[in-house]
Amino acid sequence: MKLSKIIPLLLLCVQTAFTGQLQVVATYGYIGDIVQRIGKGRVEVVVLARGDYNPHIIIPKPSYIAKVRRADLLVINGGQLEIGWLPQIIKQANNGVVQPGERGFLDLSMHVHLIDVPTSVSRELGDVHPEGNPHFFMNPDNIPVVAKAITERLSELDPDNQAFYEANNKELYALWQKNMKVWEEKLKPFKGEKVIEYHKIFDYFLNRFGFIIAGTIEPLPGIPPTTKHIADVEKLIEREKVKFIFQDVYNPQDASSYLSKRLNVKLIVLPHDVGAVKEADNVFSVFDEIIRRITQ
Amino acid sequence: MKLKKTCLSALFLLLFLWPGGLLRAQSREGSAFDQSKFVPDIAFILDGSGVARDMADQKYFSLTIPGFSYPFLNQPSSSGLNAHRGMNFNYGELSLYSVVDPYFDLFAVIDLAPESAGLEEAYFTTRKLPYGFKIKAGKFLASFGRVNEQHEHYWDFANRPLIATALFGEDGLNEIGAQVTWVAPTSFFLVFGAEVLNGVNEQSFGTTGFSDPRSSIVIDAVQGPNLYIGFIRSSFDIEDASILFGISNAMGTARNDQGFSSIGGTGEAVNANTDIVGGDLTVKYSLDAVRFVSFQGEYMYRVMNGTEYTRDSLSVVSSPGLDKHNSGFYTQVAAKLDQLWEIGVRCDLLMQNDVSLGGVDQHMPSNLPRYSAMIEYNPTEFSRIRLQFDRDESRYVQASGGWSRQPYTQIILQANLTIGAHGAHAF
Repeated sequence: MKLSKIIPLLLLCVQTAFTGQLQVVATYGYIGDIVQRIGKGRVEVVVLARGDYNPHIIIPKPSYIAKVRRADLLVINGGQLEIGWLPQIIKQANNGVVQPGERGFLDLSMHVHLIDVPTSVSRELGDVHPEGNPHFFMNPDNIPVVAKAITERLSELDPDNQAFYEANNKELYALWQKNMKVWEEKLKPFKGEKVIEYHKIFDYFLNRFGFIIAGTIEPLPGIPPTTKHIADVEKLIEREKVKFIFQDVYNPQDASSYLSKRLNVKLIVLPHDVGAVKEADNVFSVFDEIIRRITQ
Repeated sequence: MKLKKTCLSALFLLLFLWPGGLLRAQSREGSAFDQSKFVPDIAFILDGSGVARDMADQKYFSLTIPGFSYPFLNQPSSSGLNAHRGMNFNYGELSLYSVVDPYFDLFAVIDLAPESAGLEEAYFTTRKLPYGFKIKAGKFLASFGRVNEQHEHYWDFANRPLIATALFGEDGLNEIGAQVTWVAPTSFFLVFGAEVLNGVNEQSFGTTGFSDPRSSIVIDAVQGPNLYIGFIRSSFDIEDASILFGISNAMGTARNDQGFSSIGGTGEAVNANTDIVGGDLTVKYSLDAVRFVSFQGEYMYRVMNGTEYTRDSLSVVSSPGLDKHNSGFYTQVAAKLDQLWEIGVRCDLLMQNDVSLGGVDQHMPSNLPRYSAMIEYNPTEFSRIRLQFDRDESRYVQASGGWSRQPYTQIILQANLTIGAHGAHAF
């Protein structure tokens, strides 16, 4: 065995022995919740970003460096969602175990199919993600996929508990499928409804349940709405007979509520992550709450 | 006729289709050794400004901060940021970054001016040292305090804080050397760092030896590394406020020659030990997902002890003991109002300015302030337009019988744009 392989392994042993538990750092709340459900009492999970903040723009607090420094596993959303804040945290954490490419680094976007992969990229088109739309968490079908990837990685890093992690994953899978049936049933009447989003953050959800996305309030991803664009959206809502405006919790709601009041379209604020709203405190309740808000 | 047609067709086929087919095959096989996927992250940053100042350029370039740059009177460089009245091309910055292999990262910044280019930074860092250690080596901005290691386009203002310019010059403390850091495995952020650097800086450090051609004074050039820096930084959060603070210490020799070794004429040289300590504090408080208020402040204190050598017009050399104590700070508050707008104010003050030669106080002016305010518009994270106001009362010219203060006011309209793959910024 090469020395370069032994050193991180040794380090892993030292750290694991020190705390007795695998230390996992998750960038977003939903990841933390899934890791928690699979690792239960046998891993320690820390979440970096706040769930009610814009996931693209997170202030790279130095306290995150301390957390990544002690991590055995760093689990990220990927698809360049963390590009604006995480790379410097990893660089400053001086932790070789969680460098991209190592076993202690897990990029979930590598395990799911990303939609809207642009054929060409230019910043003329706003804040585009070359790998595709990174908000794949909004498709509930992706949760079991992501959970499986996490289970495999935890088992690899902590083989003694492999059976435990796999059992928890199985349990999560069963519970998730049960909930999926309920959610599908509730959203059946909404198939084919046209909606406007503020940012393309709910695309995966809307595609999954058969909504039709008519447009966005942002003229381009990451660019705040202009009066001209709002006028265009106004025409679009009337022409396409749009029923809903779906808004995230972190962007300003002025444009959405203006359009909602003026054209009598229903404005619904939806959680996009665990912790985005009070009621959405785990992966199940995120979707429960989204569906409750749409159907009520 | 028919034959001719057939021949022509055959020729056509031969010339266009067959070679075309060959080309297609060639282009596939030609990419067998293609390495374009390994192109590093490349970004280019353009910074320019329009400056209105109530002082002619000629006079502006003759100003100095007495005592701080003494004995060599450093003046604003005509190639510095926002130097000229009217239009300024401040810099074009080409940055390159990539992973080298599983063990190293490499980062380089090439500073481009219309008729020159220079390597501002080029260093490697280790990726996998165990126990929280990391080594960085090459040419880089020293980790002294907060503003020094930040790139210019990341500043909240269009120019460097006054105390940083006064102690390290317009380009900051940019050195060749190596750094080691250790991040402690604590629940809060705690990092220790040490740097060994060449220590060539126009304001505080130097290695040049000198000798007087007509006397026995011979001071050799400093051999080997000349500057040692140590720093500790820590951070914790209180609710939505992040507090980052640090202390830094830089020690080295200031050995410089200004015409002293040349034959004939007047000349000056200095040989001193420099010791600079700094303390910095940054507080960033998030009001919501977009808006925040940030405070940043730094204090620096420099002591220089040594000997100044002066040769006057009659070739008489004097070498009195030099003792300097300089200090200053800046504090700035910036607020992000929404996704597009940010405002800020900054107060600079150079406080202590004690210079004694041979035990005689040189009566340097002290308490030198500068006041700044700015408003910036960020259409996206890749473009920024900033309007800044400065009132600078720290600059002087040497007049008969002492120093004459030359305050000026300036307005800077700055544009800063980034293209390409530019890495995320640290806190």
